[in-house]
Amino acid sequence: MEDLYETAPCGYVSLSPHGTIVKANRTLSDWLGWPPETLVGKAVHDILGFGGRIAFETHLAPLLRLQGHVDEIALDLLRADGDKIPAIANAAEKRDAAGKHRFTRLTLFKAVDRRTYERSLLEARGKAETESKVQAEAVLVRDQFMAVLGHDLRSPLAAIAAGTRLLARREQLSEQGRSILSEMTKSAERAAALIDDVLDLARGSLGGGFVIERDADEPLTPVLEQVVAELRAITPDRTIESRIDIDEPVCCNRGRLGQLASNLLSNAISHGAPTQPIRFEAVTREDRFVLTVVNAGDPIPADVRDRLFQPFFRGHARPSQQGLGLGLFIASEIAKAHEGDLDVSSTINETRFTFTMPRASSVGT
Amino acid sequence: MFAHGFGCDQAMWTQVAREFEADYRIVLFDYVGHGQSDLTAYDADRYSTLDGYAEDVTEIGRTLGLSNAIYVGHSVSAMIGALATLKAPGMFSDLVMVGPSPRYIDDDGYRGGFSRAQIDELLEFLADNHLGWSAAMAPAIMGNADRPDLSARLENSFCNTDPDIARDFARVTFLSDNRDDLAAVNVRTLVLQCSSDIIAPVEVGQYVHASLPNSDYRLLRATGHCPNLSAPDEVTAAIRDFV
Repeated sequence: MEDLYETAPCGYVSLSPHGTIVKANRTLSDWLGWPPETLVGKAVHDILGFGGRIAFETHLAPLLRLQGHVDEIALDLLRADGDKIPAIANAAEKRDAAGKHRFTRLTLFKAVDRRTYERSLLEARGKAETESKVQAEAVLVRDQFMAVLGHDLRSPLAAIAAGTRLLARREQLSEQGRSILSEMTKSAERAAALIDDVLDLARGSLGGGFVIERDADEPLTPVLEQVVAELRAITPDRTIESRIDIDEPVCCNRGRLGQLASNLLSNAISHGAPTQPIRFEAVTREDRFVLTVVNAGDPIPADVRDRLFQPFFRGHARPSQQGLGLGLFIASEIAKAHEGDLDVSSTINETRFTFTMPRASSVGT
Repeated sequence: MFAHGFGCDQAMWTQVAREFEADYRIVLFDYVGHGQSDLTAYDADRYSTLDGYAEDVTEIGRTLGLSNAIYVGHSVSAMIGALATLKAPGMFSDLVMVGPSPRYIDDDGYRGGFSRAQIDELLEFLADNHLGWSAAMAPAIMGNADRPDLSARLENSFCNTDPDIARDFARVTFLSDNRDDLAAVNVRTLVLQCSSDIIAPVEVGQYVHASLPNSDYRLLRATGHCPNLSAPDEVTAAIRDFV
């Protein structure tokens, strides 16, 4: 028994109620570099690192009094030469029959590797927390910047649009002048659409997602018909086959669904094979509204498909068609705001975007 | 009113408070982040100084309509109580400070017993020892604010503290400096000093006694920093003598 106590593979130490060492085994005295006889009589503080000393007084001693034992405390032992040994300690109070505190037993385990591992985990966690904080702040600053910039760009752009309208109506222009003016008008409209996208993104993320109002007061069909007509007018060289067969009403935000349809069609125009028709279909099936846009062309690679709906993602488009990469992101946000899904499938034959949503809102109108 | 110190919760006062139940109305509470408190009420800004904690004490006092009450504060709560008397004159007529320290870190001509590096070691200890707790248990407790009994499943069922809040509290406590506030404390005060206390050494207790305009000083036979647990009878007797 004596040998088991003295040379056990862990340190044993007994403390008086005042925290004085009254007994310690040889394993512990070897670890600490104090001869056994010099350990007895020292305060427990003398063999603890400073953090452990304060913690002993503020945490361990109260816990021992209150519950009689404390387990798995990580602390540093202080060697005679000042070096520290990371250790894990269990402690228990020995009380007499009357409940009076006689002494405290501490069992100590060396835990160099484990503590190093735990500390590196803590450091990694701290670093990750800091990084994600920095990232979140950067995104916030970006969104605020975009919201301000987008807002401020609107006024000069409105002035340019008003100016071109005045020129077209009031001034006698040459053939070339009229053609330039028409291009300027289109460019201004495109710039306005880009700004709207940016503002949508900024508002969406600053406000924690798109919040939209839905109602079933008006039919959806004319809105979608107009979107198709507009895109046909902008790209007369492309064929858009359209089928709209909606059992009205659909509880939705019509402006936003028009935007979703427009973004999907613009995407098909930008990325689809120019010689093949684009098929647009908006129908109701039982209690769902389903909108699909199909184009031919090269299939979308799987890795690109995964990122399609992320903001600022841009695939390969002709330079003139290059946008900010917000169209599909905004479409998917609009889908979410309608409790709907926007999915994509892409094969050699076709690329198909499918949006489905419930015809009635689950949250009421 | 009994206020607990850094490292534990109101359980620290159970034995002493019991002795006064027959003659006094007893107020026990846990600071936010400790014991059974509502963790969601924690506000890092509010509790970035001891003032925030003192506000809580006066809020409790106002809610309960306390006037001329006796405040007993252990450890850092001694200074929190001193600040509370300045914020709410008339709420407390008597202060009992158990193991007080107005400043833990040494300064020119002042010995608090600590260096800045040692405080960092303490913060490191706290980080090391809440590893499992914060990762595994905190979400369970945080997500069940309506079920505070869940915290009883922790290995150490007393003195529970939220690890992040404990670190904040340690920083606020050990970096505080309330030496200049002591002269303004004009309520009767008893300084209860332990014989051997590395957190609040005897000379710090004497400094507090000398700085307070109206104080008694009593050196306890008890050793360590928590006489309310290690020698509740002696603490009870000392408070009785004073009040």
